[in-house]
Amino acid sequence: MIRIVSALFAFAVLLCGWIIFQPFAPITPSDVDVTRGETDLMLNAPGLPALVDAEVPAQDFVETASNGLPDLSNATVAPVSMESSAADLILAASGDLAARAQTLKTDETTIAATTAGILAGLGIQIDAPAPVTDPNDPLFAQTQAALTGIQAITGIAPVAAAPAAPADGLQTIVAQALKEGQSDAYIDALLNEAAAAGQVSVPEMLVTSEGKVDTAVLLASIVSQAQIAAGGAAPVAPEIVGGEGVEVRIVQRANETEQYQFYTVGPGDSLGAIAVKFYGSVEHFPVIFDANKQILSSPDRIQTGQRLVIPQLG
Amino acid sequence: MKGLRLAVLLGLICFGGTPASAQDVRITETMAEASFVVNGQTFTISRNQDQSAVLTGDFAKTSRACPQFCIHPMQAAPGVTTVGELELIDFLQTKVTAGDGLLIDSRLPDFYLSGTIPGAVNVPFSTLDATNPYRADILKALGAVEIGGGFDFTNVVDLMLFCNGPWCDQSPRAIRFLIDAGYPADHLFYYRGGMQDWLLLGLQTHVPGSNG
Repeated sequence: MIRIVSALFAFAVLLCGWIIFQPFAPITPSDVDVTRGETDLMLNAPGLPALVDAEVPAQDFVETASNGLPDLSNATVAPVSMESSAADLILAASGDLAARAQTLKTDETTIAATTAGILAGLGIQIDAPAPVTDPNDPLFAQTQAALTGIQAITGIAPVAAAPAAPADGLQTIVAQALKEGQSDAYIDALLNEAAAAGQVSVPEMLVTSEGKVDTAVLLASIVSQAQIAAGGAAPVAPEIVGGEGVEVRIVQRANETEQYQFYTVGPGDSLGAIAVKFYGSVEHFPVIFDANKQILSSPDRIQTGQRLVIPQLG
Repeated sequence: MKGLRLAVLLGLICFGGTPASAQDVRITETMAEASFVVNGQTFTISRNQDQSAVLTGDFAKTSRACPQFCIHPMQAAPGVTTVGELELIDFLQTKVTAGDGLLIDSRLPDFYLSGTIPGAVNVPFSTLDATNPYRADILKALGAVEIGGGFDFTNVVDLMLFCNGPWCDQSPRAIRFLIDAGYPADHLFYYRGGMQDWLLLGLQTHVPGSNG
């Protein structure tokens, strides 16, 4: 009898212990220590190694990783139950998704097409996003000379197919406001009003965590493309990214050291703005989106408090 | 190329020194010279009036080593029309003048710059190779429209290509590159005679950057 009671007692203690150290503790944006929640995020990020299974305590994380046991190919083997509950917890931690009804109409226009359309409205023609050009490449020089000769005769300007399409509402509004010399704040208000009224559709990566239009990123992109069109340099990625919400984590493995960057979404951030912050150009936003598809259903569904993996640009 | 330049210079001097009324070396019986306007510049093609003139320099050579300078067949590729000098002049006066066609010198820039057929633009064969990362820009400038991953060549301009002559493989290669890219063969023309035949007939050349 005593044996049965003590066995039951031991089982209860184990159960309590498991509940206390359970891996599904809700995370909050301020939760920056190593926690199960963060490990879950890393497990869920595609392209990152599947480090541990759900039962391994966080303290074993680095040890397990350094054993070189985990393998990229296991990344998809993350337990399904954990995946869904982690996603639920992230949503709970970052505000109720359902409560924030999506009011903005979005589309999948690229920012390049949008800015080219606006610039075209301002009478500035820009080339299609060119491949990486090397001025010292003799082929590049020959091509440029050939193009000059051809265009002098045919009069065909090398404009990308997309910008040639008729400008949509957003492009017209911004081009008009820029022509009038309106302030950034005015354009922001104008654009958000039109977007909230459903009059224009917004490129997905320009929707902020607060469901607004990220006019600043749009305007910065226009300025940068106009500068490139005028012969200026293309934007480069900032060398060191720091500041609020940025974390760098170095994972030691058997043969290599990998560095992962994380960014906790702040109020007013759009995926486009985060791409500018880390990569220097809004065009790279799909890299971030692809790495965080487990928690981002769509680029415009970004939420304050979400912890995004920021992959290194390949 | 020095010889070529000299020959051109000699031709110009002789032509300049001869009274215009006494044109004994005409292009055809009814055509003494051909004029056309390309991109605001007026070109006139006439022939060297010095009846004792002979080819000198590089284009006087008869026996270049083959391989490399091998004799090319009449047809560069199926569907591509091979033309002679009169068809070329007509092409310049109609298609090129109207902006619907281009006479393309497929040689490398240094050859082009030392003397080409009047009205030609330089599109080196190497720039039409699929390995040129900037080739799409050229195709677009020729009127191709990017659709999805490929191009729509419906509204491309006519191209007439030439290089150094029947022993030069640069324009046949350029034509093959264009066809491989999807350029319709019926929009391509091959002037097989090239600079060799052009100079042999005493036809005027043009040094890009100069007037006339």
